[in-house]
Amino acid sequence: MALILTGLQKTNMLIFTLRRFSLFFFTLLLLTMLSFSLSFLFPGEQLINLTGQISASPEQLAVLADEYQQQSGLLSQYVSYLKHLFQGDMGYSMTSHLPISSEVLNRLPATVELACVALLVAMFVGIPVGFCAAIYHRKAPDNLILTIAMIGYSIPVFWLGILAILVFSIQLGWFPSSGQISLLFEIQHVTGLQLIDILLSDSPYKWQAFQDATRHLILPVIVVALAPATIFMRLARSAMLEVLDTHYIKAAKAKGLTFSQIIYRHAMRNAIIKVIRDIGLQFANLITIAMVTEVIFSWPGIGSWLIESIYQRDYTAIQGGLIVLSSFIFIVHIIIDLVYAALNPLAREPRHGT
Amino acid sequence: MARDKIYLEEEFPTPLVQLWHNFKQPPVVMIGFCCFLFLIALAVLANIITPYSSVENHLDHLLLPPAWSDDGDVSFLLGTDNLGRDMLSRLIHGTSLTFGLSIIVVIASLAVGVVIGSLSALTTGIKSSFLNHFLDVILSIPSLLLAIIIVAILGPGLENTLWAIIMVLIPQFVHVTRNAVKEEFAKDYVLASRLDGASSVRILRYSIFPNIIEKLISQATLAQSAAILDIAALGFLGLGAPIPMPEWGAMLANGIELFYIAPWTVYLPGLAILFSVIATNLVGEGMRHALKVRKEN
Repeated sequence: MALILTGLQKTNMLIFTLRRFSLFFFTLLLLTMLSFSLSFLFPGEQLINLTGQISASPEQLAVLADEYQQQSGLLSQYVSYLKHLFQGDMGYSMTSHLPISSEVLNRLPATVELACVALLVAMFVGIPVGFCAAIYHRKAPDNLILTIAMIGYSIPVFWLGILAILVFSIQLGWFPSSGQISLLFEIQHVTGLQLIDILLSDSPYKWQAFQDATRHLILPVIVVALAPATIFMRLARSAMLEVLDTHYIKAAKAKGLTFSQIIYRHAMRNAIIKVIRDIGLQFANLITIAMVTEVIFSWPGIGSWLIESIYQRDYTAIQGGLIVLSSFIFIVHIIIDLVYAALNPLAREPRHGT
Repeated sequence: MARDKIYLEEEFPTPLVQLWHNFKQPPVVMIGFCCFLFLIALAVLANIITPYSSVENHLDHLLLPPAWSDDGDVSFLLGTDNLGRDMLSRLIHGTSLTFGLSIIVVIASLAVGVVIGSLSALTTGIKSSFLNHFLDVILSIPSLLLAIIIVAILGPGLENTLWAIIMVLIPQFVHVTRNAVKEEFAKDYVLASRLDGASSVRILRYSIFPNIIEKLISQATLAQSAAILDIAALGFLGLGAPIPMPEWGAMLANGIELFYIAPWTVYLPGLAILFSVIATNLVGEGMRHALKVRKEN
């Protein structure tokens, strides 16, 4: 019997994973359609918007038109666009004339690093504080935390960034105000993630470089993490309140467990699951904040590159950036969904229709 | 005092009146609501109450600090910027741009979103599933990225920013309306009027909308705080309001170079944004609290 049950659970997990992946492919399909239609919507010639070959001769353009099947219908144009995408060819940047894919690969790791560290900080600060607020429900700590949360997610991020630079890098001089690492250090580009690259490198000044990179990271991470952290506080608080109201907590109380036993053994685990479900949704929001923060801290990531390409009217770069950044968000979304499903058996039940 | 009514009539307040009764209970919410009304008044009366025009230069009063500082001048209460423009007047004019326009943006996207949302709630099957997935895709693209892309298509400028933000906010309203309408459709009172022979449109108009309006208002306040932040962020990035306009985000961007000499040109617009977002969020918070109280009763 138990064997059948675990088998059933495994198939459930498999079905859940398959459903998620089919959704992922559907989403990517829609996204590529969106990006393909953008090349028509942007001002200028569609073929040039798609390939970024701004100074191509008429002969080269004819070759490109042939490659992208310009003379046939829209559908085959879209299919040939997809083929190019799958080969990693997103066209050339209109300003730097470099392939978009290499530009993106150079910059995406910096954003991934910033966003992931900020997400972790937001989770590890926000969730415990939220639980704390729920435990002291309607008392002074709860009110204080709610007030902080309200200010935290109302504060405009660009203003916060500027204030942080003024106070912590200029007046106090604790942290550097811009960039990813001091130019004194030369780190080989392996994974692109600065901190990991430093640890992998065999430079004699490894630890100094690591310290320097960490000091560069702290201020942007705090600025990016503040708003998501306050949202996690509120999510964690309401999840904990919901859990503390359930019958199994009452049963645990009746059993004679102490308050801390109830919190650590029963309430916390069930509340964390509820919070994890919503983390994926917050990630898109976090990326928005990271984009603005990158501009303020001159962080060499994909967000500041995208905003720069708007100023330059580099339409090919905008299309490429949209696809890469959104796919990154979807991937994180799916990872979090899978983690949630792995932790919570209730979520693995196949849901029919919506 | 004589009682006018001898018979105690049983009164059934409409959902909106009930909402108001619950809404006005916590004092913090009322403070937020008063600030919200104050901002609306500023936005409407901006042209009448400001001492100077938003672009008037006072060349002999460049970079004047606020009046409470030693070098300040009381006729420029909050100081002036690098072109000698009065900060107070610019901030008040900015209220009608950043805050006032955010209300218009929200109303426009609310109207479109509710129509699409209720239509989509009435559809079923593959059309509905496609729409659902499409909405999921749009909702998971960062709002600012989407707005930036729309601005790239339309070209920079305040008006195009507004169109972009309206389009970005619509999917949220569609999503909320759709879920709320579907939820109400499953209830018995809808079934009752359906048995009476009411058409779907009639049910929507008379049975469902009065019951979901508070959910929509609550979503609208969330959308408005997002709209204020987005308008300001686009203005700050130089994609929104052009430089002479006293839009708060653009004012802030203008002040950055003078940050060390004239910090008030950065502090004040930032505080204005913070204040308006907090006021909006407090109203939204009160709304959600009132909804919760009503549900519990």
